[in-house]
Amino acid sequence: MKAYKGALLTCDAAVKQILLMMDESEKFIIQDLDDTHLIVQMDQLERVQRMLEVELEKNTYSLDPQ
Amino acid sequence: MSGTSQPDQLPPIHSFLTTRPQTTLSRLYARPSACLAVFRLLDDVARQIVMSLLWLDSKTGVDLTAWVSPSETARKHYTAAVLGLVRLHIAKEGSGRILILPAFQAGLRRALTGGGEHRSFGVPYLTAGGKDQMTTEQLDDYALERWESILHFMVSSGSSIGRVPPPSNAVIYLLRRSGLMASIGGERNPDSRITSQGFQFLLEDSHTQLWDLLLQYLAMSEDQGRDLVEVIGFLFMLGSMQLGQEYSTENLSDTQKVMLQDFLDYGLIYRRDPEDHTRFYPTRLATTLTSTSSLAFTSSKHEKAASSEGFIILETNYRLYAYTENPLQIAVLNLFITLHSRFENLVVGRLTRESIKGALANGITADQIISYLTVHAHPMMHKNNPILPVTVQDQIRLWELENNRLQSDNGYLYEDFNSQGDFDLVLSYAKQLDVVLWESREKRKMFVREDGHENVREFIRRRAEAS
Repeated sequence: MKAYKGALLTCDAAVKQILLMMDESEKFIIQDLDDTHLIVQMDQLERVQRMLEVELEKNTYSLDPQ
Repeated sequence: MSGTSQPDQLPPIHSFLTTRPQTTLSRLYARPSACLAVFRLLDDVARQIVMSLLWLDSKTGVDLTAWVSPSETARKHYTAAVLGLVRLHIAKEGSGRILILPAFQAGLRRALTGGGEHRSFGVPYLTAGGKDQMTTEQLDDYALERWESILHFMVSSGSSIGRVPPPSNAVIYLLRRSGLMASIGGERNPDSRITSQGFQFLLEDSHTQLWDLLLQYLAMSEDQGRDLVEVIGFLFMLGSMQLGQEYSTENLSDTQKVMLQDFLDYGLIYRRDPEDHTRFYPTRLATTLTSTSSLAFTSSKHEKAASSEGFIILETNYRLYAYTENPLQIAVLNLFITLHSRFENLVVGRLTRESIKGALANGITADQIISYLTVHAHPMMHKNNPILPVTVQDQIRLWELENNRLQSDNGYLYEDFNSQGDFDLVLSYAKQLDVVLWESREKRKMFVREDGHENVREFIRRRAEAS
């Protein structure tokens, strides 16, 4: 039996795919549990959240005319 | 008086009083004005009980249950009312019989019949001529301006535009103490910004807001070692004063004179001559303190069509029209909409993803925005059901959900169990502790919250030793 320290990320499937993509360039995922759960390194958590935020912003379009 | 007789809900000041020791309350009830104020804030059933017992000189109490209709709701109302009275130390109950306590009984009797030298209703200041009297309109103007300047300061602290000069340090201190605002950079720095709690506060009606702040004021006074009875007694005295009458400070205690000074900042008190400390006018904010109708203040001429009737029209295309010229209301709207144009009595704006995101980042929730828009919806909007367009409501909630697409929890992943039996045993133990966040029987893995790790590890070690 083994135990690892880490942060459990719970997200929807789309976000998980983005995270996997991000992981290809910079490794931070310890384990891929299932479609909506990942274990990542705790000290990377904040950076991952920031990167995800940037990534998600790319996919939104503002309809405001101004 | 409708809406005040929630059976098991005491008004905030009463909840505060019930947490005080009986001796404090007995001393408070020695003031007839306090008894009357407490009585006025009771709900209908409790008032009925007090009134029927007030003139009874019984030492053993009376059984009132025969008056209560046998239906379950009536009985519930009655029990709740009696419980409230007991907790306020107004009455005591034993084996079904209720007895009103002498302190409160004497106080309320004196309040109703008058007489005595207690002067707890304040001493009117006698002026020679009537021509230099303040009118109620002037007092309303003043109170509203003062009160709104506090609220406006709170709102403007959250946005970059339209900053308002801060109110006095005492007010800021109280706002910070109550968690409505948080300081930026150190206690002594006057720069503060509004908190999520502060935004909720802005959505309340002014009567509730005032009591929220005054309860904080009471707690603060207590910390400063002031006599609570003096402080509460003075609040209740203000609540029983008459609007438009000038009062003298001659029989006020020192504590109460200090309070008078504090209340100037909130707009509860007006002094015609700031240097003349012998007399003051209570404003409508003060005189409606103990009235149960929260509309008393908002129905004053200023907020007319605006806040009492609603002024916001929201269309399905996210455009928002607000019929107002009140800088406070515009500032509140500016927290979550993008304003485009402003006219004489109308501002036009739009709910956008950016504006809502900005509000969410400030700790404002989607529900708060929706409830604000609903409460202040223009009468024309009330023809719709639901009042706000569903698409817009949903979109606001969706924008909020975007922020929560990723949830993270720290903890430990357990894997490589020797057998399925081992795994199931540990899993069931961890589940009893309610620390499992994720599990998979097929993979024999589970994720345990950080605070449960010690216990689970200990459990595994004990089992390993035993076998």
